[in-house]
Amino acid sequence: MSAPAPEETRETTVCIVGAGAAGGIMALELARRGIRVTVLESGPRHDFTRRSDYTRRFIKGENPWQSPLPGLDRHTTSGDVEYRLEWNRARGVGGSTLHWEGYALRFHADDFRMRSLHGTAEDWPISYDDLEPYYGRAERALGVAGTSDDPWASPRSTAFPLPAFPMSFSDGLFTDACRRLGIGLHHLPQARNSIAYGGRMQCRACGTCHVCPTGAKASTDLTHIPQAESTGYADVLTEVTVLRLEADRGGLVRSAVYAGADRRERRLTARVFVVAAGGVETARLLLLSASPDFPNGIANRSGLVGRYFTSHPLIDVTGRVAARVYPYRTGFSTAMSNQFAARRDRKNRGAFYLEFMNSAGPLPHQIAASSGAWGPELAKRVREEFGRTLGIRVYTEQLPDTGNSVTLDGTVKDYFGNPVPRLTYGIGPYERSAIAEAQEVAEGILRALGAKDIRTGAVWYASHQLGTHRMGRAPTSSVVDQNLRAHDVPNLYLVGGGCFVTASASQPTLTIAALAIRAAEHIAEVLRGA
Amino acid sequence: MYSLPVTRRRMLAVFVAAAGAVLALLLLWRPARLARLTSRLFKPRLDTAAPTGSLSESEMDTILAFAAVLVEGRELSAEERGYLVEHVSERAAQTPGYLALYRRTAAVLDGLAAGPFRSRPLLERTSLVTRHGLTRYDVRIREYLTPVRREILAVRALAVPDLIGGYYSSPAGWATVGYGAFPGRCGELSRYTKAEA
Repeated sequence: MSAPAPEETRETTVCIVGAGAAGGIMALELARRGIRVTVLESGPRHDFTRRSDYTRRFIKGENPWQSPLPGLDRHTTSGDVEYRLEWNRARGVGGSTLHWEGYALRFHADDFRMRSLHGTAEDWPISYDDLEPYYGRAERALGVAGTSDDPWASPRSTAFPLPAFPMSFSDGLFTDACRRLGIGLHHLPQARNSIAYGGRMQCRACGTCHVCPTGAKASTDLTHIPQAESTGYADVLTEVTVLRLEADRGGLVRSAVYAGADRRERRLTARVFVVAAGGVETARLLLLSASPDFPNGIANRSGLVGRYFTSHPLIDVTGRVAARVYPYRTGFSTAMSNQFAARRDRKNRGAFYLEFMNSAGPLPHQIAASSGAWGPELAKRVREEFGRTLGIRVYTEQLPDTGNSVTLDGTVKDYFGNPVPRLTYGIGPYERSAIAEAQEVAEGILRALGAKDIRTGAVWYASHQLGTHRMGRAPTSSVVDQNLRAHDVPNLYLVGGGCFVTASASQPTLTIAALAIRAAEHIAEVLRGA
Repeated sequence: MYSLPVTRRRMLAVFVAAAGAVLALLLLWRPARLARLTSRLFKPRLDTAAPTGSLSESEMDTILAFAAVLVEGRELSAEERGYLVEHVSERAAQTPGYLALYRRTAAVLDGLAAGPFRSRPLLERTSLVTRHGLTRYDVRIREYLTPVRREILAVRALAVPDLIGGYYSSPAGWATVGYGAFPGRCGELSRYTKAEA
């Protein structure tokens, strides 16, 4: 732990809460412009040299990225679908980039104009064109491997910084089937080193991307935070949790009150505050920061903080084929189809994309345990059964719905005695229609491959927590403006997936990164002007 | 008309017989809720209050001699034994209940062998293990109700699946399917693009 100085109050220019995707990127963008930044991170600085131990724990079914403080990750759920956070977020320098899959997809231009094009949800206050240069910068900073073979992609002004990962053996099988069905299959862009890049080594296909043991997968603890610190303008205090933000009578945030394991409160004062703690914790912190001037929580005059909690419902469709397909030789997929993610009617049915999985079906020990066999027959059964399952994962778009929310649950308290977040989550007909269509498409592909025993797993959800402090032009219908500045609090910025107006079907991290770079640029201009 | 005198003893016998008949009928019918209930109540479980620690060398050897019969049906190489030692040691040291389970398993095996199980040749060990049904780890729910041989039931329901799972999730399990690199052991990147040799 980087111990705070003995004094109770520190000062900085920009206080950033959270050292994850958004916070890490903002720290570097501001520090490299000579702006003093202090990052408050509730998790530890995970020691990279212990990654092999983390990998072992992950293989044994543990999540090594959880908070070491008991009760800090406590939460409650309600709604039709139980949205749990245990495996769906990470605490520590790097945040969710510690455990993300590394899929670095841009949104489509259509995704920003759902109201204009489809008469549903809302348009974003910015367009794809506004964000396009920042996508390019985010791709360079994270090191995205890809190639421009996606016919549904929106235009790009720069090439991918790294060559795409080659298609896998099973992708070859999928390609043939998709061609026969008229479905386009293309490379899946990812922030993972197909060649050595940014001082990090080439991926070695370790198969445990939730814990990348080599650092080939981009995470801000490796890509951004060390660079930010090396400028001399950025400090990162770890294992300190921000308990609330305090505002003055003029409506500006003056300090972040934080505490470590000893629960002693300290203050950090700053000119600008950025909350980048993920869609759940950012909303919770704002709600915890209620005061006489902000009785419903800071930056919440709209009443929308925590509302419109959105994710990506997903399903896995699998089938058994006669030939061996050699799964589990990478931890990531290399092919996808965006054919159903853009340029289609999305008024009543969500977009979705197909991920052609490189690893599906039972592992050797799962086959062994369920076989009932023993001795030479057991080994033979494992050999014969393994590697004959193909899988397609489908990510679907979810419409924002005020019924889905992050609120405070005063009946349960965290380590610091604060109310925990309650996640209310469900999916409606819009998402279910997309899932039904996606299931039909995926099953068709597997049938074309001659698969038998085709099965669709239960609907679950991605580790994406979006929409809880949405962006917009009007203070009555959004929480932050197009620069991610809170409508109600001029020196407060809320960065991360929570600012998304709509969810797209695409993974959010690259868009979070692009928005963070854009917001940092804006903050730098504001500070320069001041 | 002929009738038996009603005694307390006879009433109790009738009651037990009736309860047994109902239970037997329910078991034959196999309603899911009853199965779950039976499983919850009677399935052998780990003693999570028991301490963690290490097996003795002889206990570990006994477990390895048993595992060799189960996982491959042949004597294991030093490397394969090493993976199992790692698995069993970690379980015993970290997860409450496993030390006691494996100790009990070693004792049961020695009891069945009427001496050190580990010293018996493979064929003899295999014969002992099959004769006492220790390879039947897919335990039927009705077996949970058996009041006798509970120790053997615990070995079948808990120790055997754990040994099989531990072995086949180790590099030995991946070697069975022809993989030298697998989740947790990095390899050459381009390997995933082609069929395995």
